Amino acid sequence: MCRKKRIEHASMIGIAATGLLLLTSLASSAGAQQRKFYDDDPITREPNTRDASGAIKRDIDLMYDLGFNLFALSRTPALVRAQNINTIDEVPDSEWFTSRILARPISVDEAAKGPDTCAGPAPGKLIVVHAKRSGVTPGFTVKDSAGRTWFVQFDAPGQAEAASGAAVVATKLFHALGYFQTENYISYLDPARLEIDGQAEVDTPSNRVRPMTLDDIQRVLARASKRPDGTYRMLASLAIPGRVIGGFKYFGTRKDDPNDLVPHEHRRELRALKVFGAWTNLVDMKALNTLDTVITENGRSVVRHYLQDVGSTFGTGALAPREWDEGYEYLFEADKAMKRLASFGFYFQPWQTISYLEYKSIGRFEGDYFKPVEWKPRVPTAAMLNARADDTFWAARRVMAFTDEMIRAIVKTGQYSDPAAEQHLAEVLIKRRDKIGKAYLPSVNPLVDFRLDASGSLTFENAAVKAGFAAAPRGGYEARWYRFDNSSGNATPIGAPVVSPALKILAPAGLPAGNGEFIKIEVAAVDSPESSWTTPVRVYFRRLPSGWKLVGLERMPD
Amino acid sequence: MIRSKPKCAVLVLVAAVHALLWIPAGSAQESRADSIAKQQEEKSRQLRPEVPDRVEQFVTRMTQGGWFFSANPRGLYPYFDSVYPGGGFTLGAGYRRYYGDYAFAEARGLYSFKNYKRFELRTVSPNHAGGRVDLEALAGWMDATQIPYYGLGIESAKAAESNFRLQETYVRGGATVRPASWFRLRAVTGYDRFIQTAGTGGTPSIGDLYGPETAPGLGVNPSYVHTEASAAVVWAPAEGYARRGGIYRYTVHDYRNVTGNLDSFQLGRSELVQHIPILRETWVLSLRGRLESVYNQNAQVPYFLLPWLGSGSTLRGYGTGRFRDRHSLLMTGEWRWIPNRFALDMALFADAGTVAPRFKDLSFGDLKYDYGIGVRLHGPAVTALRFDVAHGSEGWHLVISASAPF
Repeated sequence: MCRKKRIEHASMIGIAATGLLLLTSLASSAGAQQRKFYDDDPITREPNTRDASGAIKRDIDLMYDLGFNLFALSRTPALVRAQNINTIDEVPDSEWFTSRILARPISVDEAAKGPDTCAGPAPGKLIVVHAKRSGVTPGFTVKDSAGRTWFVQFDAPGQAEAASGAAVVATKLFHALGYFQTENYISYLDPARLEIDGQAEVDTPSNRVRPMTLDDIQRVLARASKRPDGTYRMLASLAIPGRVIGGFKYFGTRKDDPNDLVPHEHRRELRALKVFGAWTNLVDMKALNTLDTVITENGRSVVRHYLQDVGSTFGTGALAPREWDEGYEYLFEADKAMKRLASFGFYFQPWQTISYLEYKSIGRFEGDYFKPVEWKPRVPTAAMLNARADDTFWAARRVMAFTDEMIRAIVKTGQYSDPAAEQHLAEVLIKRRDKIGKAYLPSVNPLVDFRLDASGSLTFENAAVKAGFAAAPRGGYEARWYRFDNSSGNATPIGAPVVSPALKILAPAGLPAGNGEFIKIEVAAVDSPESSWTTPVRVYFRRLPSGWKLVGLERMPD
Repeated sequence: MIRSKPKCAVLVLVAAVHALLWIPAGSAQESRADSIAKQQEEKSRQLRPEVPDRVEQFVTRMTQGGWFFSANPRGLYPYFDSVYPGGGFTLGAGYRRYYGDYAFAEARGLYSFKNYKRFELRTVSPNHAGGRVDLEALAGWMDATQIPYYGLGIESAKAAESNFRLQETYVRGGATVRPASWFRLRAVTGYDRFIQTAGTGGTPSIGDLYGPETAPGLGVNPSYVHTEASAAVVWAPAEGYARRGGIYRYTVHDYRNVTGNLDSFQLGRSELVQHIPILRETWVLSLRGRLESVYNQNAQVPYFLLPWLGSGSTLRGYGTGRFRDRHSLLMTGEWRWIPNRFALDMALFADAGTVAPRFKDLSFGDLKYDYGIGVRLHGPAVTALRFDVAHGSEGWHLVISASAPF
């Protein structure tokens, strides 16, 4: 009976979904009589118009999250375009993402500073207010003399500088990429600075919460890497503002957040983690490493989404170097397990023979073999499984925007005592960056930065050619020009197609000149070594008194 | 994308967003921001709290109860262990209550399909002296109804199989000390009482085939003050499951006879285990050598306390307790391959062992051999289920266990 009800319920939802899709398809076709672009397109910020103060805390169970993503998640992508992009194929700023690198010039200093707003815990006493509640690294929560709350963690014995360095460097990279990050600082602790707050508590295996004692502190420090001078290097993470309501899932939406409309698997910045994760080897992509907080913005409560723990990056885990297969295989892959089982282990995979230059503070991280498209985290996420070529292209451009100098400056903030280790990490990141560019930039028609001046000269760039990862098309570029009726969606050709050997194409005669007029241009490569480049990029311009404004770009329309 | 109901929900959301992007211009929205605002307004009227579904609630309860990958279960929990070697498939449960931060008392029981049973009351108080000392006390009762007995010596005949029933009541207390993370000392002392009766198995009962000369201590129900002390170097990640590192342990048991008019004696066990990873743990060569000896050559040791080999994690191609005597030597090698490092191990293995009445009689010429293949389901630190199929000179033998072979 119960099962029957469930089936009926599912069927009803299915019917509703089908109906809604049908209606929207009708709307789309009816869009032949409706306009395509609004006056405020392309939007640069996702609006949050409703109050989310009712969102409540919900901890996502680690085992459930891992199990679901490993075994219940369909590996077949929906093949739909990202749903949170604006009309020019870009991700507007939101409580998930802020356009930084590539969207605007970023100095080396700004990249290396990341989200930091201070210099770390203030000097003086650190008052321990609570034991660490999650994760495997030793640590606790402290308040500094300035009254700020910090979550401090220590490197594991034998892994000095590894976890703390990775967390700080990765934070800077992901901040520049656009994600909300906690402020992470490397600091040094003399245990004499520690005092226990009278209200400090510790969780015990008995599930009892009791007052913290000096023994508890000593037990934590006994599991930490101690420096020769008796101090401890610690990763100090500043408490993020707002009311914490747990992590986010990489699929669906929060049911208690009215502003969360786009299923997370169809958010481009989450899909893009397939590329950013590969670059940094962010293998631990689980809900527990994310954090949602309710903050007040312009007098309204909204939910902000953090990639809260990006420390599981590069070649090290929290307590030891990466397992050999991490980055290459999910925790469980039935086909590979069966092949290994049947072949007595002789079914070889690349991770078994790749050579590493290992530094204890960096772990197993390399760029010579690295194949971005084949990279895998420990468990898949719905968002990365849904990533399409236009998503990975978008992400790869951001990775490529990091200069060598910027990468070296960011790596320096990891404060590795061994210069060779620091140099190694930077070099591997540079190598992996270039491989990401080579893998993803040429995989779609890579024309970007379209501009149309008042005289009708269309200019653009070929991101793959500019980066040196592909040859320019032998036949140049062909542009087909149309007068575009924004109300009906009809496109009327203007003249004959124009072919140009360069990244500049002059419009044919007859370009509309009236204010508010739209034109559509389809630009494709001619005689290109890359077959995907013959699929045109569609760009739309709207005539304004100041000139032509880019209002639409479709690289891979649905 | 997401299966079943979530998939439908996702379709609804995709459709909604699709609608949002292609909203007709003739509607109330004059801007993209307006259309998004309308969608948010509509959602705000249908808000529901974020709550886990039933499956997640179940998993959370199990996780919080410590059922998964935890050495610290709370309340009622499943208990996986063996009552006694050869007991067959065993189910168990325990109930644990904490009376300190780490200290707990628990009752736990096991029952096997061969009607073997064990019940224990236990208290453990770990993490004294800065986490270096664990204290433990235990009282229990065990009933193994049909333990095989083939007589003494490596040449004992399979046809001479009999069985006996052994009940043991015990009270013990002790401490484990870790002076360093890799070094462990353990001392336990207590009182053991044994009652032997006719076996309930399909083979003749022990008394029908053997007498006190061929089964020392037969018919006697002795009790001992039993003290055990051990020292171990442990540099494997975990004793329950490891792919690298080693465990080198020496243990001595002192049995001081209290009732039954038998001798007191000492039994020593030396064991070396080494795991050698090959090609980044594609394969692991696991080796073990074990030597057990009764130190008092003339002491009368009841047959059921003598060193033995057969089945379990010893000579896996032979029946449980197939070879018994005052001294035993066991060598095991496993060639393991790892279909999945998270959960699944396979192993080709070979065992060799012998028993002898005198230490000097232990001879490589008398070794019994077997070989086989095994499947192991494991977690990061425990082996949850092991199936080994082994072939010895007496045919095939299946071992099902809830622990690693060594």
